[in-house]
Amino acid sequence: MRVLNELQAEGVIGAYAIGGAMAAIFYAEAVLTYDLDVFVALPQTSGGLLTLAPLYAALSSRGYEERGECVIIQGTPVQFLPSYNALIEEALASANEVMLGSTPTRVMRCEHLLAIAVQTGRAKDRDRVRMLSQQSAVNYEFLAAVLDRHDLRKRWTEWTQSPLR
Amino acid sequence: MDRMDSIPPEVRRLFEASEARRQELAALPWEQKIRIVVGLQRMAAPILRARGLDVMPWELDETPEEAART
Repeated sequence: MRVLNELQAEGVIGAYAIGGAMAAIFYAEAVLTYDLDVFVALPQTSGGLLTLAPLYAALSSRGYEERGECVIIQGTPVQFLPSYNALIEEALASANEVMLGSTPTRVMRCEHLLAIAVQTGRAKDRDRVRMLSQQSAVNYEFLAAVLDRHDLRKRWTEWTQSPLR
Repeated sequence: MDRMDSIPPEVRRLFEASEARRQELAALPWEQKIRIVVGLQRMAAPILRARGLDVMPWELDETPEEAART
């Protein structure tokens, strides 16, 4: 987390937030995962492209190696995901500031994790929706607004058999 | 009819206790949950590697057992 904060302070990345399984674990029980998914807002290049290359170069210069789709940072494989749609941008903008030990970091809100799972739509995303719905303090009013903004309410209702008001 | 209605009461109590335990686990501090995740990773890694999956348990300063001792 310290490395992420340094990269942000240096302008290599913009806002970042932990998403995926590790963010879900912040709100629910611990489950087996080997992934640390970090969503990042990337500064645009002069050509207007969004690219992870400057981030990978900055990590490489610190001695962190790429391995598959991840970069190994102090023994943890971290997958960086650029903000790829409006829902992710919104989740990044409203992520919760939390402390991990003495290090500040940002974790996506559980309502955004639910909406992203519904949007992504894999089998494991259904499991995540079930787990977060049962174990976390979901703000259903906030969730309904997110689902409506991103046209996800129909799938939510199909998955959960629980229409939101 | 609720599907739970067909389950014997003593088994239902076990399920309910299990669910209550999961809620307790969900309420643990994040740092503690991360230590549990790493413990799970270490347990599962040999099995997953035997299946040909390339997995890498995270490096933490302490295991759940070590944390419990401190």
